[in-house]
Amino acid sequence: MKVSLFVTCLVDQLWPSIGVSAATVLQRAGCEVVFDERQTCCGQPAFNTGYRDEARALARRFIEIFEGAEADAIVSPSGSCTAMVHHFRDLFGADEAWRHRAEAIAARTHEFGSFLVNVLGVDNLGASFRGRVAWHDACHGLRELNVHSEPRRLIRNVRGVELVELDNADSCCGFGGTFSVKYPEISVAILDNKIQAIEKAAVRAIVSSDASCLMQIGGRLTRNGSAVKPMHLAELLAAREAEAETF
Amino acid sequence: MESFIKQGSDPKEHVTREPQTGHAAAQNNHARQAMLRSIREHLEASAPFDKVHAEGHAPQNSVRASGQITRTAVEAPAELFRQALEAVNGKCTIVTNETEAATSLRQAIELYQLKRIAVSDSPTIRHLLQQAGGNVTILEDAEAKTLFDCDAGVTGAQWGIAETGTLVLESKDERHRLVSLVPPVHIGIIPAGQIRRTMAEVLEAVSREGDLSRALTFITGPSRTSDIELTLAIGVHGPGKLHVIVIQEVEPTV
Amino acid sequence: MNPELPEPAKAYGPAEVFDQNARRALVDPQLRSALRHLAVTFGQKRAQAISSVDDWEGLRERARAIKDQTLAQLDKYLEQFADNAARAGAQIHWAHDGHDVCRLIVQLLQERGATRVVKSKSMATEEIHLNAALEAAGIDTVETDLGEWIIQLARETPSHIVVPAIHKSKRQIAELFVAKLGIAPTDDVDKLTGAARRVLRQRFAEADAGISGVNFGVAETGSVLILENEGNIRLTTSLPKIHIALMGIEKVIPRLADLDVFLKLLPRSGTGQRLTAYQSVITGTRKSAADEGPEEVHIILMDNGRSRMLRNPVTRQSLACIRCGACLNACPVYQQIGGHAYGSVYPGPIGAVITPQLIGIGKASQLPYASSLCGACREVCPVKIDIPELLLHLRAQIAEGTALGQGQVEVPVKRKPLESFVFRLYAWAWSRPTLYEWGGRVLRLLQRPAVRDGRIGKIGGVMGKLMPPLGAWTAWRDARPLAPRSFRELWREGKVPPVSQPADSPRIATR
Repeated sequence: MKVSLFVTCLVDQLWPSIGVSAATVLQRAGCEVVFDERQTCCGQPAFNTGYRDEARALARRFIEIFEGAEADAIVSPSGSCTAMVHHFRDLFGADEAWRHRAEAIAARTHEFGSFLVNVLGVDNLGASFRGRVAWHDACHGLRELNVHSEPRRLIRNVRGVELVELDNADSCCGFGGTFSVKYPEISVAILDNKIQAIEKAAVRAIVSSDASCLMQIGGRLTRNGSAVKPMHLAELLAAREAEAETF
Repeated sequence: MESFIKQGSDPKEHVTREPQTGHAAAQNNHARQAMLRSIREHLEASAPFDKVHAEGHAPQNSVRASGQITRTAVEAPAELFRQALEAVNGKCTIVTNETEAATSLRQAIELYQLKRIAVSDSPTIRHLLQQAGGNVTILEDAEAKTLFDCDAGVTGAQWGIAETGTLVLESKDERHRLVSLVPPVHIGIIPAGQIRRTMAEVLEAVSREGDLSRALTFITGPSRTSDIELTLAIGVHGPGKLHVIVIQEVEPTV
Repeated sequence: MNPELPEPAKAYGPAEVFDQNARRALVDPQLRSALRHLAVTFGQKRAQAISSVDDWEGLRERARAIKDQTLAQLDKYLEQFADNAARAGAQIHWAHDGHDVCRLIVQLLQERGATRVVKSKSMATEEIHLNAALEAAGIDTVETDLGEWIIQLARETPSHIVVPAIHKSKRQIAELFVAKLGIAPTDDVDKLTGAARRVLRQRFAEADAGISGVNFGVAETGSVLILENEGNIRLTTSLPKIHIALMGIEKVIPRLADLDVFLKLLPRSGTGQRLTAYQSVITGTRKSAADEGPEEVHIILMDNGRSRMLRNPVTRQSLACIRCGACLNACPVYQQIGGHAYGSVYPGPIGAVITPQLIGIGKASQLPYASSLCGACREVCPVKIDIPELLLHLRAQIAEGTALGQGQVEVPVKRKPLESFVFRLYAWAWSRPTLYEWGGRVLRLLQRPAVRDGRIGKIGGVMGKLMPPLGAWTAWRDARPLAPRSFRELWREGKVPPVSQPADSPRIATR
């Protein structure tokens, strides 16, 4: 299976190890991974703030780049960006032609964890990571893409991991894009509930499928002096601590 | 006890103020036309967007049958009714016949220490209350004012809903709207045969023959509130005690 | 949490100053405690109530389908409702807006010499500030729903659609009752409730008129359904000689049988009950003077900005709302700041979308942004309103400066030229991969002085003011710096090589 990686601008610039891990894991799962360097951004920030013209321009670009992809699937390590791609059709109103192209792209675009389990039928990547971890259900992945059991299944198969359920695992972390800086006090008040739950769970790492959530959570954790590691699902699934130790 | 003849089905006795005449009526009609026009206009403006929006929001599942509530529908409606009512702080006794009902009524009178009891205009209910005895004053056809001084109201109910423990009162069959509401205790008496399993069945039953009661009242347990710190308090404005006696007649009538 | 936030002030401002209101709310420990209690309690109750239905999702779909069908032909169903209700003796009034309603109600009451009114809880009457109009006309009006009465005594507005006084502690309520009713101080909820019962019963007994809202209007029969737990609605609508019911035009549903669907959804969603203690289904007036009930029943059909929402399929779903309040209970934002911070009659997620539509986007342009778009509201809405979709729709109108409301005088939307410029620049630059990459490289250089221990700490002072988003982020959270090499650079440099599978490496597992 050939996969075209939609790495997302956030991962590309701010957290590239997520992209590297995602590519590695997909390869270990038997895929050939290609990366189209023309890609930049899906336009979500613009769409979420109400700038539809700008979002449309970026959406068109995305569609043009990826629809020609000679790949069986487009996979992204971001639930929110995948959801954005699935919303492209909303940007094209009465323009039937573009709407159909948007729908076609959406049908081929998958969130990373969901792709592994539901498309490839893989739930064990031979990973190993020692310690307690908890999963944070990122909102878009959970509510728009129905991703819930897949990450948990994947994590449980990581050797050495003890997966604990957070209190209110499915509550928002408070990021919400520009919301996090337009209403920072509210954003952090919501975040602190999540932090409280994470501390109560006494975990080594907090895992999620969205870099934006991880930045929100991780940023508060380090500000608090916490040693809990924010980790993307791809990074966890790429980890091979047991093997590293043998060296 | 005098038999009670229900008054007031003569439409000529319909008493209201004359509906607005002249200027007010014309103004109202104008407002009506304007509002309806506004609605139609906005709906038309929406038409070009509707189709596209609908396509993108096709419902996941086809419309299914209404959600069943009571899963274990094995028990008799009366028993389900009792369980459901007691789960919401109501009290319910199921008796075999009218004699037992009168006894049960007497027990309730003693339990709640009732002295002044208002009763609806139902001959059956009045008879039962007489049978129950006890040292009580029974007030028939009580005015609203009087009801405020009563300890309890005893009425029948036209239907019951088993899945929720609900009594359904029909104004066309009995005068019990205030008797069931004002006094702090309400004792409702219902034949088991009038208890249906679901709300849907009762909604259908009350509108059969196209003659809907002007006031339908659904009662599920005593009055309550959680307005203060979400703490449950029973008995706010309506009766704080609801006591239902279900009579299992041998052959259910109706 | 943050020592620089202001002291909580007594009053909250209007929707336009939502940000200030929110900051105020966040430092009110009693409010936060009450909201935590609400979130936990209602979350549990709702979950439990839903488990008593076999096909909750199917019910939601049906309810939404009924609403969609009705709204698509709202004029027809309203006419059917009005005609059937009138045939049964009700007097139907059509009111374009809140002013018309207030004027009409005052007139109706004055014509009949009604000076003492009991009111049951109606968000529609709150929306139009009816109580103030009645007060100004010298008509003595008392709220009879316990929560609404508490608010009235405190001269406040409700902070929740279903539990209006949720922001008040038992102690505050007790103090209020001691001050206003002269009762002995008590901590006991039953005693407080008992005091309310005693005082209000007197008012019921003396009332000339009762004013209520309407939960559903049934077109097929001309009936109104009003549901409650306390019994005050039954008293309000049966004791006084006159009953006036205010009904938003969106409340109509086609058939009596449809009530079954909504009666399964609304109590469970609103209070976690299978059914509320009482439902009254009132059709017209009593058949004769010998019957119980009011002499006159007036039903006022109110538009007040609702018909305009029909104009677009996205906004039309606003009218499906059955006012259950579930979205408030589920919303992480509402859970933190409560209802008053929204500065509008309707708070929470539904408030954020209907307030701008009812009072004009220009007067409430912050509200659509007061959301992290998490979607919890959409998940719990019994009629499946896609609130995030609505929020995004409103955001687009704000960003593009398109005002809603043809033919309505609008406060113009505040423009945000800088933000607009930034997003245009972003779209332009990021349509060009070279610019996108070089932009990243430049930022990487510029950020160097701010990076310590692999992160960017608090950026205050001049820098924070020059880049407000960065200042706002780092006030409470460390920021992740741009990585020394981007993913695409690593890819280009061959740092993400194809993996050749070692023979013993565990790989694909069973499905």
